[in-house]
Amino acid sequence: MAKVKEKPVAMPKLETRAEVIIPQERSELTGGSGLLHTEIMRLNVGPQHPSTHGVLRVVVDMEGEYVKRVEPHIGYLHTGFEKTMENRTYAQNFTFAPRMDYLHGFGYELAYALPVEQLVGAEVPDRAREIRVLLVELNRISSHLVFLGTGLLDLGALTPFFYTFVEREAILDIFEAVGGQRLHQGYFRVGGVAKDTPDGFEGMVKKFLDTFDAKVDEYEKLFKTNPIFLERTQNTGIMSEAVALDLGITGPNLRASGVPLDHRKTTPYSGYEQYDFDIPLGTHGDSFDRFVVRVQEMRESAKICRQALSRLKPGAIQDPNRKISLPPREELETSMEAVIHHFKLVTEGYHPPKGEAYVPTESARGELGCYIVSDGGSMPYRIHFRAPSFVNLQALPVIGIGGLFADLITVIASLDPVMGDVDR
Amino acid sequence: MSSFVTALEKAALREYPVLEGKIKTVVAALDTFKAFLFECKAVGFSLCADVMGVDYLEYTEFMPERFAVIYNLLNAKNGERILVKVYVPDAVKIPTVTDIWRTAEYHEREVYDLLGIEFEDHPDMRKILTPEDLDGHPLRKDFPLGETPTLFREGRFLDPSAFRAGLSGKDTGLSGWRGGSRIDSSLIPKLPTAIPVSKEK
Repeated sequence: MAKVKEKPVAMPKLETRAEVIIPQERSELTGGSGLLHTEIMRLNVGPQHPSTHGVLRVVVDMEGEYVKRVEPHIGYLHTGFEKTMENRTYAQNFTFAPRMDYLHGFGYELAYALPVEQLVGAEVPDRAREIRVLLVELNRISSHLVFLGTGLLDLGALTPFFYTFVEREAILDIFEAVGGQRLHQGYFRVGGVAKDTPDGFEGMVKKFLDTFDAKVDEYEKLFKTNPIFLERTQNTGIMSEAVALDLGITGPNLRASGVPLDHRKTTPYSGYEQYDFDIPLGTHGDSFDRFVVRVQEMRESAKICRQALSRLKPGAIQDPNRKISLPPREELETSMEAVIHHFKLVTEGYHPPKGEAYVPTESARGELGCYIVSDGGSMPYRIHFRAPSFVNLQALPVIGIGGLFADLITVIASLDPVMGDVDR
Repeated sequence: MSSFVTALEKAALREYPVLEGKIKTVVAALDTFKAFLFECKAVGFSLCADVMGVDYLEYTEFMPERFAVIYNLLNAKNGERILVKVYVPDAVKIPTVTDIWRTAEYHEREVYDLLGIEFEDHPDMRKILTPEDLDGHPLRKDFPLGETPTLFREGRFLDPSAFRAGLSGKDTGLSGWRGGSRIDSSLIPKLPTAIPVSKEK
């Protein structure tokens, strides 16, 4: 027994340890007791980890089990879209817009189309506006479904992922029927949409919407009363109203903190003033509220979709101005004028007058706007996207600290960053 | 709104209308803009939505300075918005606004990274999006795109940048006629509706 007591004294290695040489401060996190006498551990999370939602690298300073400092490193997905778009014509740029936020692609297409329409003075027909609203709201649902599925997956709940992806598949099937692609549609055009919806489109959407509300109830049952979920999300990552405004947070994350800011209501665009819907609000601004607000938003989006579907009447889907919209295919065989217009639009494009435009829209993640500076050419002189995820990610070093490491994962999941949107 | 207009007058700044005043844009001087932004926050613009930079090096009109930094402010209560534009000469540092809105931290880092405008007293003035070892600022107009010319027989080639120069605002094109632009849509004669194609068969 005596040998065991002597052993730590005889160990020379101890002196080389940092905690022996450097006196440690008493930690506030452990109640100032100094009993949990540990070194600060620097932990590298990501960039390749499922719970970082893409390629987010977070360097975390840990004090025991508690998070002391968080530093996100971004830019792994930076693709230089803005530079690329400055060197392509306005029509070509519809290819790039949905690729930034791959989960809410239609939101990006709309955010790009609106300022260009403002610059060239295009008039969007009613049918095109309603198709746009319908698709953007369906896409918002699908984006929130991914959020819910993967967010709960991060918290260890595997089952909801399979439930939410069933509905998401149904939405992607609708997108495939409309635009030909499931993710990067490139379906919107300046002055309308590329082509009319396929036969049976209304039926597909109606079939989906009929059963959707019951499905949302089912999702809520899966997590909302689960004691483990409540324990992990309630009172973690609390973001007060003042902090959220200071950090420039928008979208569901801001509304979870109790600020009723929704650009669909405050500055309506694309005919949103004609739709009747509510803005779900949270009260505490914790991770739980951020989950719940998004689930309620899915119901509101479904409400908007139903109204848009009932408003959908046959009609034009593009601005009839031939200087902006391509002539219909069959006219090219009979009309020389149409051939000239087609040729000019495809090779050179249209030339918006000099000016600058910015139209704020509400994406699934927050305020999304495209600032375009036109120099009178057929390519945008400067194009800048105000990406909501990029701003919302700034909350991570502020609200992610002070709790357990597992709470940090909850906070990342509840902020819902899409790395393509962050890095652009 | 009225209180805000008086704040504008107090700051003795001139209004700069852009696009029929859809969003009020104000041009502020480099030495007074920060005080003006502070005043904006006091008036109710509680949220700084965005800070973005523009490089006017190749712009078709004369601009006061090479760069412009645009602050996009939002009143979170009613959605009112104002853009504050500051012209910045080349190689001049401008004061940071991170002490007014913490959100400007990432935005200013992005402007620095992509356009090379430095912000004084910024807590963490590092690159944010591009790799550490990338030299230069990609969104500057003089940053090369790094394309290779398309080669044809007998030494002929197509230079992509020269090809695209014909599409920019500087070039008037072959005919010199800018067909696509229109401001007042009522002046343009309405053509028959192009689409839809009837589905009855």
